[in-house]
Amino acid sequence: MSDRLKIALLLAPALLLVGGLFFGGLAVGVVRSLGVSPALGGAGPTLAAYRTLLADPEFLRSLALSLHISVISTALAAIIGVAAALLLRRTFVGRGVATVLFQLNLTVPHLVGAIGILYLLSQSGLVARAAHGAGLIGGPADFPPLTHDRWAIGIILVYVWKEVPFIGIVALAQMQALGEDWESVARGLGASRWQALRHVLLPLILPGVLAASVIVFAFTFGAYEIPALLGQSYPAALPVLAWRRFTDPDLAARPEAMATALVIALLSAAMIWAYVRLVRRGVRA
Amino acid sequence: MERSPPLLRSVRVLSGILLIVWLVLPLVPLVVWSLARGWRYPDLLPDAWTLRAWDYALSAQSGVLPALWTTLVVAVCATALAVLVGVPAGRALGLHAFRGKALVEIAILAPVIVPGIAASFGLHAVFLSLGLTNGIAGVILVHLIPTVPYMTLVMAGGFANFDPGFEAQARSLGASRWQTFRHVTLPAIRPGLIVGALFAFLVSWSQYLLTLVIGGGRVVTLPILLFNFASAGRNDLTGAIAVLYVLPGVVVLILTARHLSGRSAALVAGLGR
Amino acid sequence: MTRVTLDALTAVYPGAAAPAVDGLTLEVAEGELVALLGPSGCGKTTALKMVAGLLAPTSGDVAFGGRSVLEVPPERRGAVLVMQGGLLFPYMSVADNVGFGLRMRGRPRDEIRRRAADMLERVRLPGLADRRPAELSGGQQQRVALARALVVGPKVLLLDEPLSSLDAHLRGEMRDLIRELQQELGITTIMVTHDQEEAAILADRVALILQGRLQQVDAPRAMYDRPATEAAARFFGGRNFVPGTAEGGRFLSALGPLVLPEGARDGPGLLTIRPEAIRPGAGPENTLAVRVTGRAFLGTATRLTLAAGDVTLEAVLPPDTADAFAPGGAAEVHLPRCALWVLPPA
Repeated sequence: MSDRLKIALLLAPALLLVGGLFFGGLAVGVVRSLGVSPALGGAGPTLAAYRTLLADPEFLRSLALSLHISVISTALAAIIGVAAALLLRRTFVGRGVATVLFQLNLTVPHLVGAIGILYLLSQSGLVARAAHGAGLIGGPADFPPLTHDRWAIGIILVYVWKEVPFIGIVALAQMQALGEDWESVARGLGASRWQALRHVLLPLILPGVLAASVIVFAFTFGAYEIPALLGQSYPAALPVLAWRRFTDPDLAARPEAMATALVIALLSAAMIWAYVRLVRRGVRA
Repeated sequence: MERSPPLLRSVRVLSGILLIVWLVLPLVPLVVWSLARGWRYPDLLPDAWTLRAWDYALSAQSGVLPALWTTLVVAVCATALAVLVGVPAGRALGLHAFRGKALVEIAILAPVIVPGIAASFGLHAVFLSLGLTNGIAGVILVHLIPTVPYMTLVMAGGFANFDPGFEAQARSLGASRWQTFRHVTLPAIRPGLIVGALFAFLVSWSQYLLTLVIGGGRVVTLPILLFNFASAGRNDLTGAIAVLYVLPGVVVLILTARHLSGRSAALVAGLGR
Repeated sequence: MTRVTLDALTAVYPGAAAPAVDGLTLEVAEGELVALLGPSGCGKTTALKMVAGLLAPTSGDVAFGGRSVLEVPPERRGAVLVMQGGLLFPYMSVADNVGFGLRMRGRPRDEIRRRAADMLERVRLPGLADRRPAELSGGQQQRVALARALVVGPKVLLLDEPLSSLDAHLRGEMRDLIRELQQELGITTIMVTHDQEEAAILADRVALILQGRLQQVDAPRAMYDRPATEAAARFFGGRNFVPGTAEGGRFLSALGPLVLPEGARDGPGLLTIRPEAIRPGAGPENTLAVRVTGRAFLGTATRLTLAAGDVTLEAVLPPDTADAFAPGGAAEVHLPRCALWVLPPA
């Protein structure tokens, strides 16, 4: 058997499944978003759904909210994650506990994190109770709304809680692979602790942290259950909006639902594409 | 290592404590709620402790046990299928260089990173006409979207460290194809296979939206049930289900702790979502 | 110019059974190049890191010019470590790499640019300033790493296996460059190597470290001729060790009485002679009747295994000379007295 045939046979089942389910699903989504549907009769392909979306203030507000959630969650998770990795790299009291918790947290489903944050930070949550006990607030209404709030603070906190260990472990693995030598060289050449971190370690781990951040961005942009549980009903995060329209009894809303979901996929793909471009250029330069 | 100044050391200890507290804190109310009887605002602790929520969760009328079973069946089937197709594909990617490899890698990686919502909406239309919606088979199929790429990438990493020269050596020593796989290849890739399969299981275990879209609310897995109870404000029952729901992850972590270091941890972390 | 003193320097890694460096005491004179020689894993690199301030010693002291530098952080110590393989920062140009240390010191941009270019010229790499490290050969990378270290004007230069990552034909060139620059700039230098030839060619003095312990510090030639311990002798290729007693200029052992060079100490000891110092045929003294038990052609020389009574000796002779020694046959060799050396008893 030739090598080419062998490789093709090895890859075929996986590619067929991924191609059929993921890319096939996307393709059908595109077709439906253009209004082509056997169930709805034979209207030709049209960009009406997309035009409607772009003129729809609810969609635009949802888009803005989702971008707000993703940008802030990703930035916070990246910064705190790298800081946590720097911390876990060194021995300190409790390092073992923190490392175990880091890994444990990775296996906890996002939905559980969201419920935990809800019970912790809602106006009758644990923190509100503690604030009451400390005499800081009177009733639940005095506690600042941290869930179902305008700024999506609860949602962002869930993502930060889940993604800090993720980015932290990626950064930590990179630091361990790099070892101490790079910073040693810099220190020997006259760099202070801070300069060695700023000019040597951070640039070296940047590609990995960026890659992890892109994954986090795409995930936070497309996740449904967290904003569904912790978000305001208007404006809702983009995936929540897409789901509402998808389950709208009026089948005419389907193309818009498809288009909304495709915008999510497209923007995430664009992020990844931009990142790959960036990395390629970095390598060439 | 160079000795750190005392100030830096105290900053480290302090932020370490903060980190630990922050990591644990959201899990605390879940456990407390699952054991609470009458926990009204503004009490910091419940009036009394009880196993009532657990009793109810494990009783017939709550629907938790069937949901647990459904989740398990879906996850085990999705994992088994992912292993079956992911191991050969991982071998191709890990051991061979070929034209179009970069493209194949991107195609396999895309479903891991690009949110599945759009593909699942499109797939719903197809599955509807095939009669695969609202049933467990369709849910298993849709769970392959994240699990197959994940398994493939983990195995590609595993095979990248495998020298096919061992197989040639075994064949020349008289082992059949199957014997070679059984006694040479499999032992070499076993750690990656086990870790990959356990985490593929967790990936399926954690799916919410894919199950909701294709299962249409008829296939009730644990996260669907959990979401419903949480939205309905059944805090005690929600707490109990949440604890149940987290347990397999803890078990997997204990089982794989030995293998989870450095690169593999990053891989698992990168894809186990 | 800076004198470097290591005083009972010790490093114990947590959890390790034996110290990585065990009571290393060594004085390096101003402008001197000392090589720490030893097999890999013997603690040489650990010692360098302690001198550079990158690792806090468990005990002992490091002093520059007689003043302890233990409390001085690495960036102010003035000791630059060039790591194995060079470790050029991959995301910076060659010029930025060389200028790194000056940039950390906040020097103006054009001064950095100028001094980096000067230094690149001194390591014979003009015109590569804008390249990336990945575009350079291994030898070029090593020279950039050297330039990056020298440009900050270090008091002490620390080289960790500077030649190990290079191909054989590049080593000579790099070796000459290191020696030339080191002497020209008069920088006190400590280098680490596992290669005795490299140490012998480059260093003013060699410090032999085995299992974390300093065995001997001496000029390279003396290390070969007058090893301090059996371990040191074996490390430098010693193969012949015969226990016995020195008495009045003679060594009494299973080989019979042998005449020693003048000034040999009396008492029990271990006689050693390098395989290449054993001469064929009878000599004016110290002639031994031997049986040839083995002969192996090594290319430029032939190794003979000889039995003198119960004692086995190894000799290395030019192939033509060795042809006369047929395996199984009887022969005579002699041990020139100036090549004999008595080690203290083990």
